[in-house]
Amino acid sequence: MSTKKATPPPATSPPAAAAVAAVAVYAFRACLPAKRRLGLLFPALGAVLFGLLAHAVDLDTAEEKFAAVASAGIFSIVLPIGCLVIGDAVLGGDVRNGTLHFTWLSPIPRWTIVVGRWLAGTVTAAAVLGVASAVAAIVAGVPDEAPAMALSVAAGSAAYVAVFVALGAIVRRAVVWSLAFVVLIERLLGAALDGIAQLSPGWLARAAYGGLTDAPDLLRSGVPEGGAAISRLLVVTAVALVLAAWRLGSLSLSGRSE
Amino acid sequence: MAARTDAAFVPKPTVEVKEVSAWFGQKVALSELSCSFGKGVTGLLGPNGAGKTTLLRVVTGLIPPSRGSVAVMGGDPRIDPGVRSSLALVPEDEAVPGALTPRQLARYRADLFGVTDRGAPDAALETVGLTDVADRRLEGFSKGMRQRAKVAAALVTAPQVLVLDEPLNGADPVQRVNLITLFRKLGDDGKTVIVSSHVLHEVERLAERIVVVVNGRLAAAGDRRAIRDAMVDRPRRVLVRASSPRVLGAALVREEAVTGVALDGDDMTVSTAKAAELARLLPRVASAVGSRLREVRPLDESLESIFRDLVR
Repeated sequence: MSTKKATPPPATSPPAAAAVAAVAVYAFRACLPAKRRLGLLFPALGAVLFGLLAHAVDLDTAEEKFAAVASAGIFSIVLPIGCLVIGDAVLGGDVRNGTLHFTWLSPIPRWTIVVGRWLAGTVTAAAVLGVASAVAAIVAGVPDEAPAMALSVAAGSAAYVAVFVALGAIVRRAVVWSLAFVVLIERLLGAALDGIAQLSPGWLARAAYGGLTDAPDLLRSGVPEGGAAISRLLVVTAVALVLAAWRLGSLSLSGRSE
Repeated sequence: MAARTDAAFVPKPTVEVKEVSAWFGQKVALSELSCSFGKGVTGLLGPNGAGKTTLLRVVTGLIPPSRGSVAVMGGDPRIDPGVRSSLALVPEDEAVPGALTPRQLARYRADLFGVTDRGAPDAALETVGLTDVADRRLEGFSKGMRQRAKVAAALVTAPQVLVLDEPLNGADPVQRVNLITLFRKLGDDGKTVIVSSHVLHEVERLAERIVVVVNGRLAAAGDRRAIRDAMVDRPRRVLVRASSPRVLGAALVREEAVTGVALDGDDMTVSTAKAAELARLLPRVASAVGSRLREVRPLDESLESIFRDLVR
């Protein structure tokens, strides 16, 4: 055996921006293929249906009616479930399918893998769910609130996708853990504990919309509202992405999960 | 085998595996395995479940060793991006991003490695004979075609160390020959090529040097002739059914090539360390004593049993 210590060759990786772009395009094509993108029409359709349902709510104004269905439907069901499907597909699904090595075994920095995947997921989620939620506002008879709705859903999408990407890097059964995050941590614990709601993408997105549109029913004491909620969502996003990048470096890729 | 440990190492290694153990829960996949790989083609041989895939994943950094260490070109593949830019893996499983075409996959890999030659993906696809289907989705490909697409995705990065896990699985005979020729050429060009297989004759055609892994341990290593000899000249038992078995048995025990004879009714089990010689002398001895051979059949001849004998 040789005793002389060899020097590893220098890395020949592309610039970080090019790496992020390559990973994002790959994630969009490979992890979110046409069939899955078509499947995202279901939550989008759900959002529009919630907008129509607002007409049947027994409240005084169209704004109050839409705020009620947005809280119960769009922010509680459509947004987390749509983002779960997307967020899991862009990383956790790739790990389970045994195809992450095509990306992982390369000289690009780990964080570019995470950011590229997150970017593909967020753009997809924001485009599909953000637009659908804005349409929901329009069909609910509150077209002036469509931009605020689209912005809140887009910011919520960014945070949700980041959280689900992080879970995809941390745990093997990411779908189960992601569902547990939404149902147990956000819905159950988040409803009872302000501390959790303050970091929850669902509660923060709801508070962002509530603050931007003066909908007091969507606000909650201790949870920032409007622009502050969007800022908080960006912080949650950043923390989740850092966590995912750190975890990706210590990932064990033992192949396809049966 | 005398060369069992020394032959496991090469003078100028590009890949060094030092006392690597890997376990998953209660299952030990690799146990204190040490060996090294240098330029040229090295065959990694072992039965299914021997730990070959785990070893290759450890070598490429996809799995961290539970104990021990791996160095590729002097660096850690899990940490050093320079190592990863010189390393490529073609895994055994069929998993591919089905929505992509081979061209898109090769282009993606080229982008990740900063390959500036825009023609590199097409050249890689041509090398593996996938040009005609370069724009078809991988999800419709056969196992052999998927393997070739993965080989193209590996070649496009011009790796110094190429790790191939059962790359000939599913390939038709023509493609098999083409791939073997390709891997040998890469080895001749000074690349380190590690090819795993559970088929001895396949590895023999690929590699001059062979490393045998059984039950997660190094069983043997050396040039292909040494490995072939070790596998052929091993103790084995042969079932002989013949007329007058007691007479034939008495005659056989006098032969040097026979180490033992056991009779169970009309069935005679002959033990030998020289199977080829026994095959030659058995008809002659039977004829000499007037015994008529009805059946001659080796016992424990599965590949797994051959590998087991190597680690005894």
